[in-house]
Amino acid sequence: MWRRAASALSVLLLVAGAVQGGRGGWIYAKAELAQILLHHSWERTLAGEGRVRPWPWADAWPVARLVIPGLDDIVVLEGASGRNLAFAPGHLDGTARPGGDGTCVIAGHRDTHFAFLEGLAPGDAIGLEDADGALHRFRVTAAAVVDEHETGAIAGGESPTLILVTCWPFDLLVTGGPLRYVVWAEDVTR
Amino acid sequence: MAHSFFAAGFAVVLLVVPTVVHSQHEEMSETVGLADVGQGSLLLETDTPGRYLPVPVQSTEVEITVRGLVVETVVRQRFSNPGDEWLEGVYVFPLPQRAAVYAMRLEIGERIIEGQIHEREQAKAIYRKAKAAGKKASLVEQERPNIFTTSIANIGPGEAVVVRIAYQEILDYDSGRFELRFPMVVGPRYIPGLPTSIGKTGTGWAFDTDDVEDASRITPPVLHPDRGAINPVRLSVTLDAGMPLERLHCPSHAAQISKTSEDVHRIVLDGVPADRDFVLEWSPARGRSPTAAVFTEELDGSHYVLAMVMPPDDAFIEAVRLPRETVFVIDTSGSMGGTSIIQARQALLLALDELHPEDFFNIIEFDSSFSILFPHSRPAMPAAISEAKVWVGRLQANGGTEMMAPLLAALGDSEELTPLRQVIFITDGCVGNEDALFGAIERELGRSRLFTVGIGSAPNSHFMERAASFGRGSFTHIGTPVEVRLRMRELFAKLENPVMADIELQWPDPNAEMWPDPVPDLYAGEPVVVVARLGTIHGEVVATGVRADESWESSVPLSISSSRAGINRLWARRKISSLMDEKARGTPEDEVRPQVIEVAMTHHLVSKYTSLVAVDVTPSRPDGTDLKSGAVPTNLPAGWQHAKVFGTLPKGGTSRRLYLLTSLLALVLGILVRQARGWF
Repeated sequence: MWRRAASALSVLLLVAGAVQGGRGGWIYAKAELAQILLHHSWERTLAGEGRVRPWPWADAWPVARLVIPGLDDIVVLEGASGRNLAFAPGHLDGTARPGGDGTCVIAGHRDTHFAFLEGLAPGDAIGLEDADGALHRFRVTAAAVVDEHETGAIAGGESPTLILVTCWPFDLLVTGGPLRYVVWAEDVTR
Repeated sequence: MAHSFFAAGFAVVLLVVPTVVHSQHEEMSETVGLADVGQGSLLLETDTPGRYLPVPVQSTEVEITVRGLVVETVVRQRFSNPGDEWLEGVYVFPLPQRAAVYAMRLEIGERIIEGQIHEREQAKAIYRKAKAAGKKASLVEQERPNIFTTSIANIGPGEAVVVRIAYQEILDYDSGRFELRFPMVVGPRYIPGLPTSIGKTGTGWAFDTDDVEDASRITPPVLHPDRGAINPVRLSVTLDAGMPLERLHCPSHAAQISKTSEDVHRIVLDGVPADRDFVLEWSPARGRSPTAAVFTEELDGSHYVLAMVMPPDDAFIEAVRLPRETVFVIDTSGSMGGTSIIQARQALLLALDELHPEDFFNIIEFDSSFSILFPHSRPAMPAAISEAKVWVGRLQANGGTEMMAPLLAALGDSEELTPLRQVIFITDGCVGNEDALFGAIERELGRSRLFTVGIGSAPNSHFMERAASFGRGSFTHIGTPVEVRLRMRELFAKLENPVMADIELQWPDPNAEMWPDPVPDLYAGEPVVVVARLGTIHGEVVATGVRADESWESSVPLSISSSRAGINRLWARRKISSLMDEKARGTPEDEVRPQVIEVAMTHHLVSKYTSLVAVDVTPSRPDGTDLKSGAVPTNLPAGWQHAKVFGTLPKGGTSRRLYLLTSLLALVLGILVRQARGWF
């Protein structure tokens, strides 16, 4: 009797473990697989094809590529909706075009694409390739934890600025907390 | 095998768990510098995190005098600097959309410096020069007919200066009710379009965009309501209605109302936060409703006349009701969040009940995008009405205010289903691209008529009024939930009764210049209100119109006995308004600008192209002392929800780690149980 119950419980636990593992893995796989497809569509964007949808049913297109030397190489989607962020960091609507004048804001998930933000320190370099293929070099000027209501944190000025936003703390288990981690970087291309 | 998996699994759990727990409550380190700032001054965040700007503290005193149809208002904006740095303040504030701003003066203690009218760029240059020279100076510019900016330079540590602004306007009379409205806060506007390369020309929170080139000048920073209310207002109204009143009522505030003499009332607000429109309403006693009023002024050989003529009530008794197609457009953007969306839904549900079975109807809701209830307008049969009510009941406010597409969809008149076509647009009008929308209404109106219903505590009344004017309809304000039923009933009266059209006025002087020209159609309850400039005022003015094939005529004698100072300004203001309408209709700005400047300079009025500037004689800021500059923040309008308008920083987390951790825990436990099985 006890053996049967224990057996059933163990099977249940193993199945639950597999399901949760699958869900967690799926998030990661989606984030990684999408980047492979996005890199292909980015090539085509640079070749002048305009708005290239990375997969046929996609409703967003790549707008920039972020290169962090030795750490990461990620393609950014237009729009920072929750759906987009599952696949790639998203360029926030209404902020400057990546590579353009003004302040450009890109948001990403703290535990996939933007996990590297935790390791950035003032002075670090960030490369941004725009849709025309031009490479812009940015240097991190500051990083801070702010409340989600402090939208002033991403208000910009006239000079080209790149702002990367993700959730904070980086290794918190649950989502939906009120704090954000914001990294400011200035254009040092010239 | 199972043992090694168990061990590996446990090791991973150990690796994950500590990092999960350790950093939840780290202190934020970016609010340094707060302690350095003087008590009571406001702090404004800069683009650089952790750096704050002190800005002057603003308070306002308003004195309004109403005599007959003319409102004369003096606004005193006091800017004080409790800190120890020299400050420049930029304050973006609203005034009534028809305000003729004709005077500004700078008051420094006992000294008074009168402002002069200049072309806008020139005024700005004068101000900049004075600012750089360390002189106190003030500049009042118009951004929209109802949004103005006061800039005030070189307020020393511990000093306070006052900018005194005077304007006149014509009182609103509709459906037997006078309404006085004094807006106190510019509701945050939705800015469509893409940022331009210029970035910002003003001090607001929005970037200038290709659709709203001056977005940064009409979007003052908004203080989060959690930080308390700012910008207190003291307001008093002296109301000389010139007739016995049946009802005098302030729906917006708990105002103190007293009677000072026969027909004269005094209304006082003693210190309220600037977070909503002040509204005062009164109705003449039964049988004492005005049928006509004339005010005149003689200036430089010309006579200026303000005339109001009310068609008799029976001119609007219901004739044969024509079937109509009614398209409702409801704004469900974030700025409608809170009490506004509730009022909007109520208004819409009431309106649905007014439809007759022979009518057709449809509903469009919009925020960042729009959706339509039915693919095509449907007959207003009970089943369709019920379906619509369920749909309306589910509407929530969220997202942007992309107004152009739904507006065009509502005006798109694909099939002539009914003799009449009416579009009822329920919104707070909080957008920055008004002129583009007016132009679209003008082009696409066709046989439709557009009626705006302004919702909320601080609607964009300029948009409501002009959109309805371009749409040849009328506008209605609903400020509080208790007003919904009454206001909607007034609107239904306008929708149900035929309009008075082809309105013309015959002046004794054939060369009279009258505005508006032509006179718009009248709906039930509306009077003819015009302002004219004549060579002579001997005789009478005759108003004529046609309603449902019946003609109406009314004559009013003109006389100099009803003389009143400032009618010339009301005339000039109305003319400027008509000229600016031409610009929205597509006349090149290069043609409109010189005409506006000429009228505005002659009559000493602030306009889009002319500003008032006052400069102190002697410098007060010592050489070598820095001047700090900042935008004075404003409150969020009452009833609004901050997060719905400004949103929050984008989220950036997944539950990946949670899933993986729970997965590992389950697996480890599962294996443990399997191992333990042998013990039973």
